[in-house]
Formats: sequence, C-alpha cells, structure tokens
Amino acid sequence: MLPNKAQAARRLFLQRLGVFSAATALPALLSSTVDAQSSTKGVSSAQRWGLLIDTSKCASGCDACVRGCHEEHGINSTGNEHTDAQWIRKIDLQNNLSGQKSSLPMMCQHCESAPCVDVCPTGASFKRADGIVLVNKHTCIGCRYCVMACPYKARSFIHEPISDQKSWAPRGQGTVESCTLCVHRIDAEKDQQPACAVACTDEAHSAILFGDLNDPDSDIVKAMANQPASQVRSDLQLNTGVRYVKL
Amino acid sequence: MIDHLRYSTLKPSRLSYFLVLLFCAVFVGIGGYSALTMEHAGHIITGMNNHIVWGLPHVFAVSLIVAASGALNGASLASVFGVSHYKPIARLSVALAMSLLVGGLLVLVLDLGRPDRLIVAMTTYNFRSIFSWNIFLYTGFLVIGAWYLWMMLEKRFNRYTLLAGRIAFAWRIVLTTGTGCIFGFLVGRNALDSALLAPLFVALSLVMGTAVSVLVMIMLDRWRSVLIDKQLLDSLQRLLVWFLLALLYFSVVHHITNLYVSEHHDVERYMLLGGLSLTFWLGHIVIGVLLPLSLLVFRSASVSDCKRLAISSLLGLLGGSALLYVVIIGSQSTPQDLFPGKTVLASTFGDAGFPAYQPSVWEWGLGFGGVALAMLLCLLLLRILPLLPELRASLTASPE
Amino acid sequence: MHPISPIRLLQCLLLLLGLTLGWMSVAGERGPVIPKGKGDRCVADTDFMRRNHMDLIVHQRDETVIRGIRDEPFSLVECVDCHAQRDANNEPIRVDAEGQFCASCHTFVAAKIDCFGCHAAVPDGEDQERADGGHWLPNKQLAAFRPHKAAPLKSSVRSTVSSDHDELSSDASE
Repeated sequence: MLPNKAQAARRLFLQRLGVFSAATALPALLSSTVDAQSSTKGVSSAQRWGLLIDTSKCASGCDACVRGCHEEHGINSTGNEHTDAQWIRKIDLQNNLSGQKSSLPMMCQHCESAPCVDVCPTGASFKRADGIVLVNKHTCIGCRYCVMACPYKARSFIHEPISDQKSWAPRGQGTVESCTLCVHRIDAEKDQQPACAVACTDEAHSAILFGDLNDPDSDIVKAMANQPASQVRSDLQLNTGVRYVKL
Repeated sequence: MIDHLRYSTLKPSRLSYFLVLLFCAVFVGIGGYSALTMEHAGHIITGMNNHIVWGLPHVFAVSLIVAASGALNGASLASVFGVSHYKPIARLSVALAMSLLVGGLLVLVLDLGRPDRLIVAMTTYNFRSIFSWNIFLYTGFLVIGAWYLWMMLEKRFNRYTLLAGRIAFAWRIVLTTGTGCIFGFLVGRNALDSALLAPLFVALSLVMGTAVSVLVMIMLDRWRSVLIDKQLLDSLQRLLVWFLLALLYFSVVHHITNLYVSEHHDVERYMLLGGLSLTFWLGHIVIGVLLPLSLLVFRSASVSDCKRLAISSLLGLLGGSALLYVVIIGSQSTPQDLFPGKTVLASTFGDAGFPAYQPSVWEWGLGFGGVALAMLLCLLLLRILPLLPELRASLTASPE
Repeated sequence: MHPISPIRLLQCLLLLLGLTLGWMSVAGERGPVIPKGKGDRCVADTDFMRRNHMDLIVHQRDETVIRGIRDEPFSLVECVDCHAQRDANNEPIRVDAEGQFCASCHTFVAAKIDCFGCHAAVPDGEDQERADGGHWLPNKQLAAFRPHKAAPLKSSVRSTVSSDHDELSSDASE
C-alpha cells in the first residue's frame, strides 16, 4: 500500500488524465456527429467542386460555353455588353514574347479565400461548404463592393429590371451575380455537369472538365496530375477552384 | 480663456438666409427624385456599368464623409489641443461634421442597388468586411458627435468636454482611415492596392473639412453681420497650408509608388496622361493644391484675409473632389491585368480597354441632393440649438 | 353642466365622419378572392399555410441557398407550380398578377411581395396534373420545422389549427 500522499497524487493524476482525454475527445466526437449530419443532407466540405480548362483545346471565336451558360440561366442580351450580366466571357490572348495565341473562357474562379466574400458587408457573398462561391440575393444590398474586389472581373451588377427568369436561376435588378458553377444542377443529381462544360463537349472541344478537387480518383484530379495546371493571378494566392492548362 | 462666451441660435435676418434655405430644399427635392427614379429604373439610367460600378454618387458621398471628419477640426483644436480662439466655432464644427456625415451616408445608401434593404445592412454583418466596420464607425461618429455636443451645451457637463473631444478626435482619425481602407485593400485593383490611401484620406479630410468649415463660418458671419476673429483667420490660413502640403505629400508618394511598381504602369498612365489627366493635373494638383497654396503663402495685400481664405477653401474643396474622382473612377477605368506578359487580342467583355465613364444627370442630382441635405441639416441644428457665439462681435469690434 | 365648446363639437363631428368613411370603405369588401391551386390540398393545412407560408419560404430559402437542399416541399418553385393559373390559351399567368393567388391577398393586406423581382412567377414547362397538390407534409415534419432558426409559430396560430389534424394540435400545445 502506498503512502497517503502518493495515493492522493496518483488520484489527482488520474483525474486530470480523465478530464484531459475527455476534453480532447469531445471536439472530435462533436465534429463526427456534425459530419454525419451534413453528409446525409445538404452540401459538405468533403467535396470541392472545380473546373479544369485546357486552353489548347479551346478555340478562338467559339463561344459555345458563353451561349450555353446564358441559355441555362436565362441571361438575355439587351444589346449593351457593358451593362449586361457577364457570368462567363471569352478572351483571346497573345504571348508578348513568343507571339503564341491562346483562347480561354473566364468566369468566377471560386477562390478558397475569395476577396468578394471578405468584403461583402452583409455576408451575402459567401462560399458554400463545397467551395462554390455564390451571392445570396436575398441579403445582397447591391453595394457592388464585391465587384470592386474581384480580381477576375467575374461579377456583374444587374442594372435594369429582368423578366422571364428560369425557375432554377432567380435573377433580379439591383443585386450582384456571377457564375454559380450551375449549382442547381450539381445539387439536383449526381454526375451533373455545368452548362458551359456540356456546351463545350457538345461542340466536340471538351476543353472544360468539371469535378471534385478533393477526390483523388476524379477525372479532374487525374488530369491535373498529368499536366501542370495554373491559376490566373496565382500571385494573389487565392487557391482558385478553376484552373487552366497551358495558360 | 473665453469662458464667458454666450451662445445663441441662428436668427433668420437676411434675405440670403431664406434664399439658401430655398436653394437647399430644391436640391434636396431633386436629389430625392433622382434617387427614386434610379431605384425604379435601375442603374441603367446612370453612367455606371459593369466596368465602372462606383460612379459619381460615390465621389460625392466620400467627399462628404471625408469632409465630415475634417470639419471636426475646430472642435478638436478647441477642446483637445486647447487653442482658445477655436472655442467659438467648436459647437458649429461638431454640428457641421454630423450634418455632412448624414448627407454623405444618404447618398451612399440611395446609390445601393437595393436601398430598401438597408435594414439587412444594419442587422447582418460580416466582420471581415471593412465596409461593415465603417457602418459602425459612421454611426459611432454620429453618437459620439451628439454626446460631444451635449457635453458642450450643458453647463454642468462641461467638464466632460475634454474627454468627449479626445474620443471624437481618435474616432474621426480611425473613421477616415477606415474610409481610405475601403479603397486601399482591394488587391484586384492596381490603382488602389495600397495602404497609403488611408493617410492620403486623412490628409484629404483635413483639407476638405477645414475648407467647408471656413465657408460655412464666413456665410454665417455675413448673415449675422459679425466680423471673424483675426486670430482665427490667421490660424486657419496657416493650418490650411499645412494640410494642403500633407495632402500633396501623400498624393506624390502614392503616385511615385505606383510609378515604381511596373504592374501599376497602365493605370498610372491612364490617370496621369490619359483620360483622367486633366482632372488630375488641373483639378487636383493646380486648382486643389498649388493655387490655394500660393494664395495662402504669398499673401497679397490687395485681398482681405477673409476673401483669401474663402477662395482657397473653395479651390481646396473642388480639388479634393477632383482627387476622389481620379481615385474612384480612375481605379476602375483601366482593364484589370489578368495575364501578365500577354496581350488581350479580343474579349467579349472589354478586357482590352473600355469606354470612358460619363455620369448622368441623375447621379449629379443625387450627389448635389446630399450636399444640400447636409447644408439644410446644419442650418436646422443652428436654428434650434445655441451653437453660435454671441460675443464674437465684441471680440472683433473694430469696424473695417 | 358646462356648455360644449364649438371646437370640441367640430372635433367630434370630424371623428364621426372619419369613422363612418373608414367603415364604408371596408364594409363592401368581402376579403380577397383567391384562385384555387391544383389538387385537393396544399403541402400543409390551409390555416397553417395562411399564417406561416412566409416563414416556411424563408426557412427553405436559406436551406436551399446555403446548404443546397433543393428537393423539399416548401420551395417557391413548388408554390408557383401549383398556384399559377392558366389563361384561355393555356398560357400560365404570373402568380403576382392582379387577382392571382399571391397578389389577391397581398394587395388586400397591402404587403409588398419581394419574391418575383428575381424569381420566376410562372411555372417552367408544360402544365402537369397534380392530384394531391404535391407533397403532403407530415405533421411531424412541421413540428421539426418549429425549433429551427426561422420565426417560431405563434401561439395564436397554433390554437387555430383545425382539430381534424390532432397530431399537429398536440404538438402545438406542448
């Protein structure tokens, strides 16, 4: 039998050990229940959706992705490109040194640390758990700070009343909007592709690949392993969800 | 010490008082009508588009907000720095600061895409957003201003004036820094991506606030047939010189920084040599800084102190607004450079340059409406509260 | 007794006139005439829907926009699907058009609808028959809605829930 003092010390040690292990186990326990909940319903951070755009397959003069996007979301041109919504645009580039020409679509890059999310005063500009950056138009007050903050000029302010919206793509005057990565398609069914990617494939270019950046077995991650993909304005270190091959 | 100062409300005495009132009311009406029209038809009726998303209303709003912070100078000098000849204008200076801020905020709010959702902005916050901080800075400024004014008005609370003045002084520096940071922390915009905008805005606020205070003070003293304290006039002239020099200093440093960083060259070229060069050189540099500086430094004997100060202040205000125009519009006027080392051959949405911004009549209407509202509010405060010193007449009794 | 001052008399007369005019303006009205939706019933009891549709929609809106849950019965698209009428040419009529399902009530109570500036006010695609009005929401699910962040059901509302839905009534009285 141990002396009283030692016994007391041991008891204290065991007590503390118990408290410590409970304290460390509790958050893990909690987070596992939260994960379990979110995996059954709604988006989860287990996925991170993204696009891989192969500029070598993208044809100059082809705007199938832009048309596909506009059709999907009911974006009708008013004839004024400066005030119309521009979710996705085509840019033709030429390398200043080599003279090599390339073409690519530019849209919301779904940044991990999105400047638009940082600056939004009401939190209307937000990032979903699966990495898609959206505007919650119910709380957007139309201050346009996110348009100022976006390095990619991917956001548009709606300058005039809109009619004939699609039921899955609500859009309206006085709020800001941008590419949603066709969130309504992704949520609705498994293995759905965004409209731009579908349009590109239909045109037989297949320059836009959509997939889960968190899934090592997905086509997009495999493709990125084969050839280096880069981010536009990688200097800003925003960890974009849209990557470009042969930029 | 001028502890025996007695204050009274503004008594309507001159026809010009009513004319100014009417003039302001008309412009407030025009501003309200412009705002309603803009909300109904959408921003399509303004000159703004998806390249220039912040237009003339922002220039007006930021001018007013920046001037509001600077207008507090009089009170700060009197209570915080104990300069006794500023004491007579301390109350006026706080009332003016609050009025200008309300005017500026109203322009900002009415230029929102959904002004009807202001309640959302006041109830949901994203604390990573400098905009959110500014909502607190602005409302806080109004609360502190009201408290400060109260402490000055109520004799038994006068001992708290110093405390209120110190808090207000600190708050206004933070407020202008915050306003500068709204623009300064935009990494995607080459013209703005610089913390130098914060001190630049502080210097600008000192110039514009002093200028507005001077003009209002001179107008009021005309109405009341009072001569302005010679000491005060002298001090204000010297102050304005220092403020203008500070503004010029930060402006020069900001542009030198941009000229040094090669990725900022395009936007610098646009501001200094391109579409906005006239606004920059003539508006900001010549009218806004050099002209008033030379007026105030080489004091010509043929012009009275009062007139010289009034003209320099007017020029300073115009130049300050011109600088804000260059900062706000200029920063959006050149394409964002997404592909270094590459030339944009074609883009379906102007990555290779886009048309200049032309503000519409509705934007001017809204902007001037805000200025008029600030004026009207200030006159209202002066009319109902004893903010103007009665003794200034005897202080400067010598007839001209 | 002191005499009544003419001013006071005038005030009384004016008040009487105001009350009469006010009463006359509402006396003729029988309340809004609401077009019937598809099927036999809505996703929940009519009484419940009348009082709580806005909370249900707001709740569903946050679920959809933020958590991506789109297959729930309280979505605005479902509302429009069932409640949009068709004109003589079988073209759908906007639910916020004069006299239509949303507008009739909202005009009567002078409450602005903020939905259809952005949302489609007519259904997509072909007209589909709906025998049962879509999902019927089990009362258990309604009860589950209550503790969530959206506005709680008011006690006055609970008591008016019709007695043939006992489960809901008992939930409400807990």
